[in-house]
Formats: sequence, C-alpha cells, structure tokens
Amino acid sequence: MATNVTQAPPAEKYTPTEQHARIVDFEDTSTGLNSRKLLMWTFLGSDVMFFGAFIATYLVYRGRSLNGPYPSEILNIPVTSVSTFVLLMSSLAMVLGLYYVREGEKNKATLWILGVVLLGGVFIAFQVVEFRIFVIEGLTPKVNIFGTTFFILTGIHGAHVTIGVIWMAFLAHGSHTGRLRADNALDLEIAGLYWHFVDIVWIVIFTVIYLISANDGPPPGAELLHG
Amino acid sequence: MTTKALTFPRLFPRPKAEWGIWSWIGTVDHKRIGTLYGITAFIWFLIAGIEALLMRIQLSSAENTFVGPETYNQLFTMHGTTMVFLVIMPLSAAFFNWLIPLQIGARDVAFPRLNALSFWIFLIGSLLINAGWVTGDAPNGGWFGYAPNSGIDYNPGLGMTYWAIGLNLLGVASIAAGLNFIVTILNMRAPGMSMFKLPVFTWMTLITSILIVLAMPILAVAGIQLQTDRLYGTNFFNPLGGGDPVMWQHIFWLFGHPEVYILILPAMGIVSEVLPTFSRKPLFGYPFVVFAGIVIAFMGWFVWSHHMFTVGLGPAANSAFTISTMLIGVPTGIKIFNWIATMWRGNIRLNTAMLFSISFIAMFTIGGLSGIMHAAPTADAQQQDTYFIVAHFHYVLVGGSLLGIFSGIYYWWPKFTGWYLNEKLGIANWALMFIGFNIQFAPLHWVGLDGMPRRIYTYAENMGWEGTNLLASIGGFILGLGVLIFMINLVVSRIQKRVAPADPWDGRTLEWSTSSPPPPHDFDEIPQVEYRDDFWFKKYPETIAEYYGHGEHDQTVPSGAQVDDDTDEESMPVVSGGAYGHDAGEHGHDKIHLPDMSYYPIILAIGLGIFGIGFLTHWGVIIAGAPVFIWGLFGWSMEPVNDPETKTS
Amino acid sequence: MANLWRKLTYHRGNGWWNLPHTASQEADPPYEGPIGGAWLGNIWRTVTHGGVSHAGPGFYWLVGLFLGVITLLEVWLFTLQGLGGLYIPILLGLSTMKFVAVVAFFMHLRFDGRLFTYIFAASMIIGISMFSLLLLLQQFGNQVQ
Repeated sequence: MATNVTQAPPAEKYTPTEQHARIVDFEDTSTGLNSRKLLMWTFLGSDVMFFGAFIATYLVYRGRSLNGPYPSEILNIPVTSVSTFVLLMSSLAMVLGLYYVREGEKNKATLWILGVVLLGGVFIAFQVVEFRIFVIEGLTPKVNIFGTTFFILTGIHGAHVTIGVIWMAFLAHGSHTGRLRADNALDLEIAGLYWHFVDIVWIVIFTVIYLISANDGPPPGAELLHG
Repeated sequence: MTTKALTFPRLFPRPKAEWGIWSWIGTVDHKRIGTLYGITAFIWFLIAGIEALLMRIQLSSAENTFVGPETYNQLFTMHGTTMVFLVIMPLSAAFFNWLIPLQIGARDVAFPRLNALSFWIFLIGSLLINAGWVTGDAPNGGWFGYAPNSGIDYNPGLGMTYWAIGLNLLGVASIAAGLNFIVTILNMRAPGMSMFKLPVFTWMTLITSILIVLAMPILAVAGIQLQTDRLYGTNFFNPLGGGDPVMWQHIFWLFGHPEVYILILPAMGIVSEVLPTFSRKPLFGYPFVVFAGIVIAFMGWFVWSHHMFTVGLGPAANSAFTISTMLIGVPTGIKIFNWIATMWRGNIRLNTAMLFSISFIAMFTIGGLSGIMHAAPTADAQQQDTYFIVAHFHYVLVGGSLLGIFSGIYYWWPKFTGWYLNEKLGIANWALMFIGFNIQFAPLHWVGLDGMPRRIYTYAENMGWEGTNLLASIGGFILGLGVLIFMINLVVSRIQKRVAPADPWDGRTLEWSTSSPPPPHDFDEIPQVEYRDDFWFKKYPETIAEYYGHGEHDQTVPSGAQVDDDTDEESMPVVSGGAYGHDAGEHGHDKIHLPDMSYYPIILAIGLGIFGIGFLTHWGVIIAGAPVFIWGLFGWSMEPVNDPETKTS
Repeated sequence: MANLWRKLTYHRGNGWWNLPHTASQEADPPYEGPIGGAWLGNIWRTVTHGGVSHAGPGFYWLVGLFLGVITLLEVWLFTLQGLGGLYIPILLGLSTMKFVAVVAFFMHLRFDGRLFTYIFAASMIIGISMFSLLLLLQQFGNQVQ
C-alpha cells in the first residue's frame, strides 16, 4: 500500500488533472502553503469575530442583571476548573495524536485521538450537568440578562465542541482502520486546528465569564427595584 | 490522494450532463456558478426595483392611499434588504466567480464544490427572506432591524424571524464564498504573478472577501441574538430583562459599516479595470489604489458609531467617530484622483462601459461628499432619518455600486457570452439610468434638509414636498425604463449575435487572452506572468520601457538583513516549463480535466434550508432535515474531487 | 537608531519575536528557541527532536503541564480574593499566556508559514480593538446616564 503513496512523480509527468489535484491537495501553490490549511486558518479568523461578538455582548451586559440569580450565587468555579483542565488536556492529546500519526505509530495515534474524543465528551457532559443544575437553581436564558448571555455563549461554544467530538470520532475510526496515515495526516492537522481553536475560545470564556465575573452580585440600586 | 477510497453509497450517479438543467444543478464550474449568481441576483434586482417603484407611486402625492402603512413598511424593508444582500452582493459575487480565476490565470477556484454550496445556500436563503410575501407577513422592521421594533413584542408574526434566519443563511453563503476567494487569490495565482501584479479588480475582491469573512460573523451573531429573543424569549434586547436595544445598533453597525465597503469595493475594482482599458493607459498609481483599498478595509471597522450619532453616546465618542469618519474619506479621495488621473491625456473611447464608469466617479463623489457632511454630529442631528440620508446612500449605492456593476456588465459581456451588447441601446440605457437616477435622488437632498422623514408612508399636504416628490417619482420611472432597455439589450444581443473576438476592447488583463466565451478549462496553457497588465505588455512590448522600465519591480531589501530569505512575493522563483505550461498540442483541449460535477452541494444546502424552516416552525422539521444534511455532508467528504474512472491516462 | 530597529525586527539579528519562515523552505533550520537565546535553544533542541518543523511529544507534555499549572494558578488567585484591582489584569495576563501557548505550539503557528500567523493575528487585532472600543463606548454611555 505504501509503495504508491510516498513519492510524487516528477513534475513534467503530471496530467492536467493531477496538476489541479496537486494545486489543491499538495503544497504546490503560489504561497507554498496548503490550500485546505489556509482555508481553515482563514475560517478561524472568521470565527474569532463570531465568538468575539458574543464575548463582547457578554461583557457589555456584565453586571446589568436586574434580578437574580447573579453570577456570585450560581457559578461553581472548582467544578468548571476541572472541566477547563479536561479541555486543555484534550488539546494535549490532540497534538500527541497528530505526532504519532505523522510518525506512523498507528496504535498510539488511535489511542490519543480516542483520548480527544473522550475528554471532549467529558467536557460536554460537565456542561450538560452544569446547565441542568443552573436551571434547577433558577437560572434560565429567559430569567435575566446574565442567563441570556451565559447560556447562548457557552451553548454555542458547546455546539462547537460537539461538532469537534464527532469529527474526531470519525478520524479516530479512520486511524484505527488505517485510512488516516502519515501521508494524509493533514486531515487530522486541520481538524486539530479547529479543536485547538475551540480550546482557546474556552480559555477566554473561562477567564471572562467564570473567574472575572464569579464575584458579581446585584448591580447597585437593584434592591430598590425589588424593595 | 491514493488512500484506500472510502465510499459513501450513492443514491444517484455522479452528474455528467453537459447541458440542460442537470448540468446547472451539478455544476462546479466557476463560470456557470457566476452565471447562476448573476441571473438570480438580476431577478431579485427587478423585484426590489418594483418595490421601489411602488413606494415612489405612494409618495408621489401627499396623503396618498396607494399602499397602506403596513405594506409600506414591508416594501421599504424588503427593498433595502433585497438590494443589499440579494442584489449588489451577489452581483459582485457573479463577477468574482467569473473573473477571478480568469484574471489570475487559474482553471477554477480553489474549492469548486464549496463555491457551488455558496450559491445554493444563497438561493435558499434569499427565498426564505422573501417567503413572507407568500405567507402574508413580509419582514417590516427595516433592513437594519432596529430593536425593540424588531422584537416579538412590537413586531409579532413571522416576518422578522424570516428575515433573521434568511440573513443567517446568506451569511453562511457569503462566508463560504469569501473564504474560497481568499484562498483562490492567495494560492492559485499563475506562475510569476506576485501580489503586486494582480489586476486591481482581483485586489478589491481579496479585500472585499476579507471584509466579508470578518464582518458576516457579526451579522450572524446579531441574527442569532434576534432569533433567540424572538423565538425563545431571551433578553438580549429586552430592557425589562437587563438588555439594551442600543446594543443591537452597535452589533448591527459593527457589521453594517464594513458591509458598506463590501458593497462599494467590487465596483471600485470594476471601474479600475474599465478606465485604463478605454483610456489606453495603465491605471495611475496602482500601489496607491491598492493601499487605499487596504486602508479603507482597515479603517472601515472603526467608524460604525457614525450611524448612531443621535443615540446619545456622549461628546467624546461622537468626536472620535467624527474624526475617523472624516479620515476614511481620504483613501476614497485618493482613489477618485487616481481614476481621474488615469483618464488624463488618455486616448479615451466613450462607449457604454466607459460612460457608466465615468458617471460612477461623478455620482460616487457626490455621495461621498454628502457623507462627509453628516460625519459632523451637529449636521447629522439635523439630517438623521431624513431623506437627505436616503439621497446620500442612494448616490453611493446606485450611483456608485450599481453604475459600476453595469459598467462591468457592458465591459465583460462579450467575454461572458461571446456576443457584443448593442452600443446604441447601451447609450440609451446609460442616459436613461443616469438622468433618471439624478432626477430621482437629487431632489431628495432638498426635501431631506427640509425635514421630510424616512420610512413614513405619507406626508401632509401643506408641507410643500409634493412637487419635489412627484419629480423624484418620475425620475424613478425613467430609471426603471433604463433598466427595461438594458433587458431589451440583452435580448437583442442574443438575437443579433454579433460575435466578439477574444480581446474586443484591447484589454489589459489575462481574461482577454482566452477565447470569448472561455472554454470550460479557461486557459489552454496556463500563462506565465512577468508584468502587471501582463497581457497588454505582451501585446505591445514596445510600451514596456515607457511605462514599466523605471525600476518599478526593483526589489528593495533592507540592508544587512534577509538577503537570503526568499518568501518575499516579488522574488518567488518563476516556475517555468513543464510544471504549469501544458501546451494544447500535447494533451488536447478535451483531455484537460476539471473537478467533476457533484450534486452534494445542493443537497447540503437543502439540508441547511430545512434547518432554517425548522427554526421557523417546529423542531420536528429540524430532525427531519438532519438526514438530508448528513447525507450531503458525508457524501461530500467521501467523494473524490475527480472520480478515478474519469481520469485521463 | 536604524541599527537598533534592524536588530529588534529581523530574524537573523537578535529579534527573537520575529517569526521564522516555513521550516521546510530552509535547508538548515536554525536551532533557535521559541523565545530566543542560545541556552534556551539547547534545551529546545533536546525536547523538540532536533527542532525541525514540528516539536516532539516531550515538548508537548511540557506545554500541557504549563497550561495545567497556569489554570491551577488562576483558580488559586480566585480563592485568594485579596488582589483588588490587580485581579482582572493578572487573570487576563495569565489567560493570554495560555492562549498564546496553545496557538503558538499546539496549533504550530510558531513552526508554520508566516501567512497563517498574519491571518490569525490580523483578525485578532481587528476583533480585539473593535470590541474594546465597543466596551469603552458602553462605559462612556453609562457614565453619561
């Protein structure tokens, strides 16, 4: 199998079909950079603005809830720290998986990619439980502006993680069956870029929503509203 | 490439039709997708134009009862939304699709199936936005959808929900297209074509695509927030829950002001191609035009609050945004002077395309100057929400973008179809549009300064606005007549079939080097580029020294540093011979293989459309849409770009 | 002055923050540390399998450890509750370090084509400056009220 993958034929032998394929798939481009990777990075630049707008909305509305529950009453920093740690470690598993795919160590690679899936799944489970507890304690998207901004921002991040987990699950399967190998490790690298990006968004969310806002109580004057 | 193929069971065979409806549904050819964009956008253009004329009939006399206030609200909302998102942006996208691969010497865009996906999502999103006309509650909250007027309390019914979801789908389509063009322009350039040898239209496309990719996500956020407010009762713009309607204005204009440049930059690119060709001179100050575009694209992010001067952001904020707004007039002015200098002492041919371009400069200048007027908050406080603002942005968008696009249509029509457009009808078209446009919108400056408010369906008899409004309405119909003549011209061109050669205008850029219309593979031989305006200088080598010989591509290397590093674009080694230059004799036209057709883009788009309908109606529909979506997604990802059995030997 | 500028900005000088080229384009990639300096470069070489193009697992574990420790530090600062006005700046600084570590090493930006860095940095710069301006505006608005 490996015989026909390693060496590309010399340039003058390409048919135009292969030429086009080379331009798209290989690094034979004007910039020398792979087109798919460039697409992913540009997409991440776009996603920066997407999450940026949500985070900015959260910050603008920070401390403007007119009624409870307020962040100080509801956020559970120790639990979220654990889920943050889990997500950070999934990124570590991701790079290790990519490394071993490149090295051709199939079993280790599969194991680490499965690790990404598992850790990502644990993160989502944490989030589901967290949402559930918050709702029981009275915080819903409808109840105040903190609930609105919190649930929409973390929910959309959770949706990104879910997409990533599904993607990684297929790549883990691919690695197990031998379709994902050193020569097309780019598939994993691109998925990895997405995964790490979701991770860095969470780094920002954890700081901004959890650590910084965790002491936010009622805004000044709120007691006048409710007697 | 050579991995063990993972196959996804096909329900239909891969489309192979070369003509007929299936050839369009399965197409991944950038030229066909460009045509699809163009036709769809033109149909929406006619619809939005009819909406405008209905409003003009309503306003032609005081206390008119031609349409009621409810219908009028729907008309101005849908006129604005349609013209911005379904006409000017996709018409620009039609030009991007047609021209970018041709101008950079590529055989297609970097991701042909993604390109098809963009179009199909655009089509479905545009239908969804307009679905309200059929169900009876068209969106009526203005194209800017200001909260709380667009919220569920003040605006019940599905209208604004259609609007928000439709815009979200259009956003996905635009981002996908924008990503595609950024990668195409960066990565698919012909050998030797460094960034500063790109045609200006390609440069403006790159800048527009970057703006699209960065601005559209913000619109998506605004749409999601409005949607959750309307559908699930969240508090983003609900003051009772702690939200703030002003935040909508911020989020919307954070997107909305870059959007203004998304609308105008492609037209600027078109004009920068037309003027040099018909002046038989290179574009004056190419680097300045390009850098002015880049500066506009950067500064465009920091002027959004000039839409909100009357909100009450405070004197410090208003002063800051006044300064940035006035500053952004500088690069625009640079471009205008460059275009004028391009024509200066040129050998000018005044045909239809050139007339449209010249009137673009004049009208855009007028629109830009009235824009500078309300960059001052004191003046803006008087002009906000009056017809003066309407006149201003119609001068920029109709007199600017649309005249630029018409110029582009007349200029590239021979390349698109292989037939000339009729020049006499063209001049009539230009004259009617130009005169009608000015009769319609110049008087609106006056009634606007007189205080006539926007978005009000009628006005009292004693205000003294009747004569001016009647004049404007007459102008509107003259403009409409111009568009009618344009359509006649298209039909006449189809009947007359005056065949255009490959290079009918003595053009400057690479698209004129291939036949008209181009073959499916665009270029028999991928061109080797040595100069800016390469095609022109290859035609007239004697002009090289005159225009290009003054060390313009001298590479300036900072002394003592980076001498051996050659990622600098200018010094990229030119790949010569075999790698790109396949001459037709060796392989023959019919053997050049392009990416195969695929029906997965349309399936994926339909899946997304069903999701959109599901948000509007019932979550069960979303569940029902999931199989379609997943089918499209998996089929796509497991389908090779070229099927093995169709490969050339 | 010009000399100083060159020293600070060019890769071949001592400008450690200048980004390297795509490693594959260079015949002999320099063993330069991620944050510069020869002594660091030596450690760097040992943990990165020779420093070519992509780092090795040892280095990744190191970065992972770094991320974990910083997170722990953040939570500890949270429990401290006595930092007053310094709390938010310190937290922002720490999370920026984590952010940069993931982007530079896990996402390979430090070893990859510069264009990727430019694209990502450009969108970050536009996003951060624009949204900061928005926050500033909202702050002004509150004071006026």
